[in-house]
Amino acid sequence: MINSSSSKQVGQDQPATSEPKSQRTKIKMVKSEDSDKRMLNKKLKDVEISIPIVYGNVSFWLGKKASEYQSHKWTVYVRGATNEDIGVVIKRAVFQLHSSFKNPTRVVESPPFELSEAGWGEFEIAITLYFHSDLCDKPLTLYHHLKLYPEDESGPMSSKKPVVVECFDEIAFPEPSEGFLVRVQNHPAVNVPRLHTGFTLPPPVPFEDANRKKRGDTKDHPLSQWFMNFSEADELLQLAAARQQVQAHLAKLRRQISMIDGQHQQLKTISDS
Amino acid sequence: MDAKDILGLPKNSVTQEKKSRPQKDSQRKPDGISREVYALTGGLAPLIPAIEASQLKKRPPSDEKITWQWLPFTNSARKDNLHLYHWVRIVNGVPPTGDYSFAKYNKMWTKEETDQLFELCQSFDLRFIVIADRFPSSRTVEELKDRYYSVARAMLIARAPSPGDISGHPLVKEPYNVSQETERKRALSMVLSQTKQQERKDAEVLAEAKRITESRMVARGAEESELPVPSNAGPESAERAAAIPADTVSPSSNVQQHPSAAVAPSTITVDNASILASLRMLRVYLRTYALDQMVQAASSSAGLRTIKRVEQTLQELGVNLKPRVPTKAVCAEHLELRREILTLLNLQKQLQYKEAEGSSYRDGSYADTPGTPKHLSHGGDQDRTFVPDMSFAGERMGKRDQKRKAPGRLSEAPLPAHKRPRKSKAADL
Repeated sequence: MINSSSSKQVGQDQPATSEPKSQRTKIKMVKSEDSDKRMLNKKLKDVEISIPIVYGNVSFWLGKKASEYQSHKWTVYVRGATNEDIGVVIKRAVFQLHSSFKNPTRVVESPPFELSEAGWGEFEIAITLYFHSDLCDKPLTLYHHLKLYPEDESGPMSSKKPVVVECFDEIAFPEPSEGFLVRVQNHPAVNVPRLHTGFTLPPPVPFEDANRKKRGDTKDHPLSQWFMNFSEADELLQLAAARQQVQAHLAKLRRQISMIDGQHQQLKTISDS
Repeated sequence: MDAKDILGLPKNSVTQEKKSRPQKDSQRKPDGISREVYALTGGLAPLIPAIEASQLKKRPPSDEKITWQWLPFTNSARKDNLHLYHWVRIVNGVPPTGDYSFAKYNKMWTKEETDQLFELCQSFDLRFIVIADRFPSSRTVEELKDRYYSVARAMLIARAPSPGDISGHPLVKEPYNVSQETERKRALSMVLSQTKQQERKDAEVLAEAKRITESRMVARGAEESELPVPSNAGPESAERAAAIPADTVSPSSNVQQHPSAAVAPSTITVDNASILASLRMLRVYLRTYALDQMVQAASSSAGLRTIKRVEQTLQELGVNLKPRVPTKAVCAEHLELRREILTLLNLQKQLQYKEAEGSSYRDGSYADTPGTPKHLSHGGDQDRTFVPDMSFAGERMGKRDQKRKAPGRLSEAPLPAHKRPRKSKAADL
């Protein structure tokens, strides 16, 4: 009996030893996958990424073809500030128009995030941006007042030159997940701050072939010739100059105050004696 | 009548119905007021009166003699033996017996009930929810708990050799508070049954309230330390204010760098930190929103007039009130500029006060020190030549001051000139 049992054991030994080994390796693989997932879902602190955007509208007077209720043709949009593809961040944009429009809730599922319509009235448009789920599940709403008529009412209206109103802003994500960072590192539409030394991201997955994907950037957009320029450098210069002026005046004031303090001190000692 | 003739109906049966109907009709017609007005009161009375009018008339029984007496009474539900008086209906000279009629509504605990309670407490190990279920008369959990704990407490106190022995016992120290418990449970159930929307609204309101109290505390702290912001702390605060935005993420390190500085600058960083913290709580936000919050926080300690003056100064400097390209760097610079202008305005005010003090000094010491006014007026002249160079803020300040009581810089110069001839007059005299 003992022999038989031992022989049984021996017989079972070989497959028995091989099984646990493969099981062991299988377990090990699953574990590392889990930790990868956890790492990708991990939120990073002190790493705020921002996406500079420009939103607004371009409006053309229809001239001879204008009717009472459709005097202008306009396009409202959200684009990357440098005309890069913001579809990497934004999943879809919902434009909420005036209730007098048919189906006033217009959903745009892919870049370029724009909406064109014809009308006569100016009103506030709410643009709600929905982000990819690995970045943020909460939407963000921008408000833009549609402008059709030029500021200068005296001049003649031209159907060639449109009325353009654009607004610059930055969408900030204070604690992006590591998974998202991996996806967008080195993408031109996203501002990623320099990470702390000693902190390395896993190597990025190579971008899909641009030809296969529809281009989402607005560099060659038909309206791009009307896009306004937003220069951060100019504004920084202006602010620096203003600060310099203020600081100089501050220094002078402090000198004056200390001088007067000294004089008061003098007067006090004289009157006391 | 004619109709019945036509129909050929027998008159007798019909007349009976008619009798009852006219009676009802006369009852329907309200007396004294029109039908419409009567309808306003709630309409017709029920056809069958609840109280027979005839009964109302023949009430007093002939064999009973009814009198009313003003008599004292006690209430068994009260423990203080209070004697009150009320009117009592006496039938044939015999006053009614029995307890005060409303005493039965008092929630009295009989010995029987209490014994039952204690038995249940013993067998169910003080599990009051089960005990409440099994209790014969309907009592709420809080009532049972109250009875049990108050009896237990009374027994403890009675059996203790001295009051000091059991003063530390939890039952004695913290007696069961029925009203508090009922209220607490009611509030808890209300919170539990809140809908998600209500929850969200509550959280929003609480966060807003917290922010408001925080900013108020900062304002109070800034107010208290506003006056003692001495000129020697000025340069430190300006430097530190400039150093802050480069590293908005770690404001605490800035506070550590300048432990000796005045309180006001550090409260500014604390406020900024709370704004940053609340921003980080949002998963996503717009840069313009963040700047708006921080500008509000920075101007929370300033009055409306000061804020207007800051904005005026910005315009004079050719700076947009809202930056045209609000990137992170631009917003930081903009915020710093605003802070510096605020400091500038505060210092200008300080200078004003000091000069006002100075003029009062001059008036007092004028006779003793003839030389000094000239010296001071030279200082005043120096000030005036500075002002035209800085076309913003300063000159405007001086102009406005002339309207106010406190003498401004520009009004100084005439003073010595005005007084000098008088001096010679006095000397002549």
